[in-house]
Amino acid sequence: MSKALLIDTTKCIGCRACQVACKSWNDLQGGKATFSETWSNPRFLSSNQYNRIIFREISRPEGKVEWHFISRRCMHCNDPACASACPVGALTKLPTGPVVYDDGKCIGCRYCMMACPFQIPKFEWGSAVPLIRKCTFCADRQAIGLAPSCVTTCPTGTLLFGERPALLQEAHRRIGSEPKRYYPQVYGEKIGGGTSNLYLTAVSFEELGLNHRGFRTDLGDMPQGIYGREWMSKVPYVAVAVGGLAVGLHYLQKRRAEIHAQERQED
Amino acid sequence: MAEKIEKWYPGEGKLTLGWGIIYVILVLGLISACARLFLGLGATTNLSDAYPWGLWVSFDILAGVALAGGGFTMAATIYIFNLKKFEPLLRPAKLSAFLGYMMFVVGLFFDLGQPWRIWHPMVMWNPHSVLFEVSWCVMLYTSVLATDLFIIGLERYGKESWIKFFRDIYIVLVVAGIMLSTLHQSSLGALFLLMPEKMSDLWATKAIGPLFFTSAVIGGMSVITLESLISARVYKRKPEMNILPDFSKGLGIALLVYFAMKVTDLYARGATVWVLDKAHFFFFLELFGTVALPALLLLFKEVRNSEKGLFWAAGLAAFGVVLNRFNVSLTSYGGYRQMSYFPSFIEIIITVSLIALGIVIFDLGMKYLPIYKSELSGESH
Repeated sequence: MSKALLIDTTKCIGCRACQVACKSWNDLQGGKATFSETWSNPRFLSSNQYNRIIFREISRPEGKVEWHFISRRCMHCNDPACASACPVGALTKLPTGPVVYDDGKCIGCRYCMMACPFQIPKFEWGSAVPLIRKCTFCADRQAIGLAPSCVTTCPTGTLLFGERPALLQEAHRRIGSEPKRYYPQVYGEKIGGGTSNLYLTAVSFEELGLNHRGFRTDLGDMPQGIYGREWMSKVPYVAVAVGGLAVGLHYLQKRRAEIHAQERQED
Repeated sequence: MAEKIEKWYPGEGKLTLGWGIIYVILVLGLISACARLFLGLGATTNLSDAYPWGLWVSFDILAGVALAGGGFTMAATIYIFNLKKFEPLLRPAKLSAFLGYMMFVVGLFFDLGQPWRIWHPMVMWNPHSVLFEVSWCVMLYTSVLATDLFIIGLERYGKESWIKFFRDIYIVLVVAGIMLSTLHQSSLGALFLLMPEKMSDLWATKAIGPLFFTSAVIGGMSVITLESLISARVYKRKPEMNILPDFSKGLGIALLVYFAMKVTDLYARGATVWVLDKAHFFFFLELFGTVALPALLLLFKEVRNSEKGLFWAAGLAAFGVVLNRFNVSLTSYGGYRQMSYFPSFIEIIITVSLIALGIVIFDLGMKYLPIYKSELSGESH
């Protein structure tokens, strides 16, 4: 069965323990924190940073200030665009949920980075032997029956790990029982063909201002990879048609020239 | 313009200014290439997680292959559509096509994060991936072009029995070349089918495959025209003015068809066209300046019959194909990414030195291979 992650952002307190746990389990170097106009730190995902908390501040006209903490990481699509894009099949969706990457296959073309609708795969720009890096959904931990490290660290129960259908049911139950607390849509249920990450938020991603920063809401329910696969399914027919037409025309012209020459001889 | 080009030719074994510049560029390119390989992409390019693809993909790969479309266009013209009178343009077209694909391969080598794994798509298959298909087609087509040049080389050394063998199977090469080109020229556009949400409305279309194919034909034909005109100047030959006017009529028709395709596509998708911003500026320049304008120019007999007119019309059309590839792969993302991108010095130098390398190889080919010899009759012209 396919594992998934229910991310109830209304429960998140922005402690960033998940960021630390992720670095610790994946042996990633700590980065130097910098000041900026936002509380989010670091500012971007990178080959050294597989997840991060985005801090959003919304000031209501009546004077109320709301805080929202949104965990950002690989969505682990049910039908990932990156896996359809990769020319060597380095990226694959495991039947158990995670979208994993094979270091030994990657040629570094970076097409996955272009194709991913959530802008997740990151490149090791600093290395002379660079690879793609992204959240692995702790596939190695899952393989030995453990939950992802961020899940075990989260102190508030924001992250819930389990079977996708069960989590979806739970998500809708929460929306139904507290309609004032939640935006009535589960991000990840259908978008881009559905993802393993299921987000519950207090307001929509448009209102959070994140719909153009990795949480696109205009992707539709079709997985992006399907456009490439549709194209590829036509390729054999185009090849046969063009090849056949070329051979046919060539021999037609040749025969025409022969007849022409014969006629001339007979004259 | 004319004087500059003349200096490219090394007169009487002396090192002219033009060749001097080319050698300096090549040395700089070699140093940059070493820096790129040993220091990595991050240290030597302005590429980033926001702009994973930059100048090398836009120019060396997308534009390079489109401009090298002359090889299959001429092969189809002569062997399939039987327009034998354009035959003198066939061999120069093959030479420039081969150079275009060499540029692709070398450019790709430096662009890949793990260039020594460039052979991986041969054994690690992902038939769902458009890029997988492109890599196979380019690999096979480059082999076809190399075989073609090898046959021309055999002629120089008069290996008649070998030549006869290749002539007997020649139609296989021709058909394979046309088939592979049709596939990968359009599939290079199909790469962008996966990311419509990131691209500007002006270029994000389901019809991008056929559009790329048509513009590759335009790129190929305009490069052939330019090649004939420029190489005539440089190598003190006469340009093929007996056939170029008719040939450019074909180019004009291709441009008109492409213009109609573009407009129909924009209209059918209801794209917002009449706005003025950076993306639209480049869009207008592309559609009107480099597709409509040369098509219009080529409608006039006076333009088709003058070397200068042909040079400008074909030059604009070729520039338009390059501009289109930059627009699709870079301009198109301007409104989407938070950061901007401009290539680094090393990126520019490597691309420029690839062009310089192309000029050197073209010169060697012109000097040592029977490029201006008819493939059909065996006569030189």
